[in-house]
Amino acid sequence: MIYIDKYAYISKLNKQDPMYKCIFCILTFGVCLWANSIIVSSAVIIIMGWYTIFKGGIPFLAFIKLMTIPMSFLIIGVLTIGISVSEKQNIFLYYISIFGTNIGITIKGIQNASSLFFKALGMVSCLYYLSLNTPVVDLLQVLRKLKVPKLFIELMGLVYRFIFVLLETMDIMITSQKSRMGYSSFFKSYRSLAILATTLFIRSYKRSNELYTALESRGYDGEINVIESSFETKWKHYFVPTMINLFLIILALFLRYYSGGL
Amino acid sequence: MSKNIIEVRNLHYKYSDGTHALKGITLELERGNTTAVLGGNGTGKSTLFLTLNGILKPFSGDILFNGFPLAYSRKGLKNLRKSVGIVFQDPDSQLFSASVYQDISFGAVNMNLSEEEVRQRVNTAMERTNISHLKDKPTHFLSFGQKKRVAIAGVIAMQPEVLVLDEPTAGLDPIGVSEIMKLLRKIQKTLGLTIIISTHDIDIVPLYCDYVYVMEQGKIMLKGTPKEVFENPKKIRNANLRLPRIGHLMEILKKKDGFSFEGSTNTISEARKAIKTWSKNE
Repeated sequence: MIYIDKYAYISKLNKQDPMYKCIFCILTFGVCLWANSIIVSSAVIIIMGWYTIFKGGIPFLAFIKLMTIPMSFLIIGVLTIGISVSEKQNIFLYYISIFGTNIGITIKGIQNASSLFFKALGMVSCLYYLSLNTPVVDLLQVLRKLKVPKLFIELMGLVYRFIFVLLETMDIMITSQKSRMGYSSFFKSYRSLAILATTLFIRSYKRSNELYTALESRGYDGEINVIESSFETKWKHYFVPTMINLFLIILALFLRYYSGGL
Repeated sequence: MSKNIIEVRNLHYKYSDGTHALKGITLELERGNTTAVLGGNGTGKSTLFLTLNGILKPFSGDILFNGFPLAYSRKGLKNLRKSVGIVFQDPDSQLFSASVYQDISFGAVNMNLSEEEVRQRVNTAMERTNISHLKDKPTHFLSFGQKKRVAIAGVIAMQPEVLVLDEPTAGLDPIGVSEIMKLLRKIQKTLGLTIIISTHDIDIVPLYCDYVYVMEQGKIMLKGTPKEVFENPKKIRNANLRLPRIGHLMEILKKKDGFSFEGSTNTISEARKAIKTWSKNE
């Protein structure tokens, strides 16, 4: 989980305006969703993969590995769509009959399933492009520009910062429990886990008090206001994403008319 | 302008659970000095520090800032916190943002300065604490020492008159300790800051501090320049502290080996001088 976060800071694209990356991601995401075509979806995967791996410098294997994460959900989902139930037998490519009903796969089913499969992967690749190349802090900046309520953004920022503190504390505590054989049997593991959860809760509460004191002594009065690092935005940056998406749209329309929407 | 920037008179503080943490503290912070508050664990150093910028309101007694008692109104506290900045012991509970830059800007933004002014202050604060290269790093990738510097920069950016540091050297390696202390010295010289630190690290006291208070169980047991304070080894040890290593060595040489030195000697350079004078006189 945490290594995804690391890539965002290594990426060569992390100095780019997060707004630009967001717009690129959402545009392509939308086009991929609308086009509903295997070729367009594959193109999206290739384009987003190319940006992330070659422009961003994220290791190829890491990207592939991340793309396989949603695979298990996807396969289950696709299977349920690919398999159809009917009383007629002539529509099936392959089927088995159970008590007079036929369960099997149809051409339509395969088409639907594969287009869904690629569409989902294409959309996932858009999101990976955004999350692997944009640090969370920059994303919050975009949300702020989009006038998302301040409270949400403050909470998201604090949660993001303190996840790491919490994980670190948890790691230390687990190590110290393990070194006293806290997880040596099933029953002991349960007990240790319970203690861990309670203590973490108490620690977090204590830390939130300390944080409040520290914020207060720097003049906190209900709102966390900070100055963000500035990004250079040029309108010409948006040229490439627009062109790419126009191309994808035209490609989708073309496929719809001439190849029956592959 | 009075000589002392902060004066604390007969300060008492009780926690709501009945713990009497401060029992009549009186101390003075001279403008532009570095003052150390020494004491074992749980002697009330942190409590004392929290009363200095109005986070804790004392039960009785007075705190004077620039000769005027602290005002606990909203506006009064805001002004006070501009002038008295606290750096807490654990940077992980002080740094609230995952972005180093944003965290440092927080205090300055709260002072209602223009964006340009804040940016400039953040940049100078980062230069002064040697962390300009960490600007784009997320907080959770920093080492403990780096986090500590970011915490200091966040307070320096507010350009306070008094810098309060709770255990600034705790958890740092020896090089880290001397770097932080030298850095504070340098900042103090350029900005004319008054610094007050609490510490267990006795050896840094004669090197970097002008005045020392020794606390024990919520009371001040000893005060004076480092030289004066370390002339009372018995009282120091009663407070769960010790002499600086050099001071201890010189004490043994004097008592057991027939050397004679004047006053207490606590740093390497002082000791060197004292031994040279002694050998000349022999």
